Amino acid sequence: MGFEINRFQGDVDEELICPICSAVLEDPLQAPECEHVFCKACITQWISRQPTCPVDRQNLTSAQLTQVPRILRNLLARLTISCDNAQYGCTRVLNLDTLSTHLEECEHNPKRPVLCEQGCALVIPKDELKDHNCIKELRSLITKQQQKMNEYQHEFHELRFFILEQRREMQLLKDFMRALKTSNPSMRAIADAMDRDAQDREVVRWSNSLQRARVTRWGGMISTPDDALQRMIKRTLTEMGCPIHILDDLMENCHECRWPPGLCSLETRQNNRRQYENYVCKRVPGKQAVLVLHCDNQHMGEDMMVEPGLVMIFAHGVE
Amino acid sequence: MANIAAQRIKREFKEVIKSEEVAKCAIKLELVDNNYTELKGEIAGPPDTPYEGGNFVLEIKVPETYPFNPPKVRFITKIWHPNISSVTGAICLDILKDQWAAAMTLRTVLLSLQALLSAAEPDDPQDAVVARQYKENLDMFKLTARHWTNAYAGGPSVNSECDDKIKRLVDMGIEEHQARVALSSYNWDLERATEQLFS
Repeated sequence: MGFEINRFQGDVDEELICPICSAVLEDPLQAPECEHVFCKACITQWISRQPTCPVDRQNLTSAQLTQVPRILRNLLARLTISCDNAQYGCTRVLNLDTLSTHLEECEHNPKRPVLCEQGCALVIPKDELKDHNCIKELRSLITKQQQKMNEYQHEFHELRFFILEQRREMQLLKDFMRALKTSNPSMRAIADAMDRDAQDREVVRWSNSLQRARVTRWGGMISTPDDALQRMIKRTLTEMGCPIHILDDLMENCHECRWPPGLCSLETRQNNRRQYENYVCKRVPGKQAVLVLHCDNQHMGEDMMVEPGLVMIFAHGVE
Repeated sequence: MANIAAQRIKREFKEVIKSEEVAKCAIKLELVDNNYTELKGEIAGPPDTPYEGGNFVLEIKVPETYPFNPPKVRFITKIWHPNISSVTGAICLDILKDQWAAAMTLRTVLLSLQALLSAAEPDDPQDAVVARQYKENLDMFKLTARHWTNAYAGGPSVNSECDDKIKRLVDMGIEEHQARVALSSYNWDLERATEQLFS
């Protein structure tokens, strides 16, 4: 729907009139071949009823509509029009292209949002200001809020009930599983395997959280650490968040008596020195020690690795 | 009424008033109510047709959705034409139905109706009786249409033979229009018209 023609100063050329609404073109678009021009809103509405040009009935779809030439846009922009709020006292007459900017800030817009200065500080349309009653407005606001609160409370109760219900159901399922586990050996095996999987995943997660270490002098390895040294390392591992189910096994694997065949004597260690560099080692913060976890070192041969991993303590040479 | 419709009609009304057709008295347009929803149109019967010299009044109703939908137009003046109902005045014209386009105006509608009077479409009839007569006995059709133009639209050509036959039926207590319809439908065969009226 275009701009009413009597809002314009002087005559408006026929070419600037929309053939559908017979007002001055607003957001004009043109048909591709016949180049007939219409307001965007008008032609869109027409095409939604019938996909033809309203002037010559050539086929026409919304997608085919294009922007009008610059000269036409300029001619439209140059027209001078009175403000939409003229009936509310605005006397401004402006170029068509500046109308929208003016309307955003027009003082005479009856719907312009204004701040109530009588105390409630609500933002209200200007034309409602004279009938505005702070107490009434605030009261209705409170009622609305109260309503909302009641709704939330209701929802909250429902959710709580729902959670209790779920919890009860979960307990029931757990009991049911426990009963299955004790009464059926194959179920027990499945449950145990699931537990083991979960534990393995925990170790991998933990390992991924640790920083890599580099051993520069493998000769500094202490193959028979004493109890005090072992306790100290164990404490550090606990602080590092080592999964509880591997902690003891790991600590036992810090002494050559538990090491795999390839490491268990001075002689075999000498023979396998070249393989040391292939170990993926993790740092034990602040200590001259590294963790060589099984999950990180599956590429090593069986005679160089044991489950769940090794702890190697050094006199020096860890970075 | 939707703003766009009222605005269009206002402008179109002015367009018609200023048009050269009005100057030549070929068409006329008047407002019936002040909110531009109903108008009265008038077209002159085109020269060299049975309608020559007659003035035909039209009822024009503008829908809320105008100009996206066509105006509703019918003849108030009774007329004998294959595409116009001799009973209701309803018009069969494509542009008043599915061939309407939003850029058409009341002026183009009035001119199209005038054109319809000069060029009937008997194969797309609104009034089957008239259309049959048009196709089977064109001279009889022209005579009848000219007589109706004289009787209802102020046309100049008086056909005393027709008037006499009507008077005969009126004397028998038949209403004049009813008598004219019956005679027109039976190619002015008084006997058959009487038979039909009294059967």
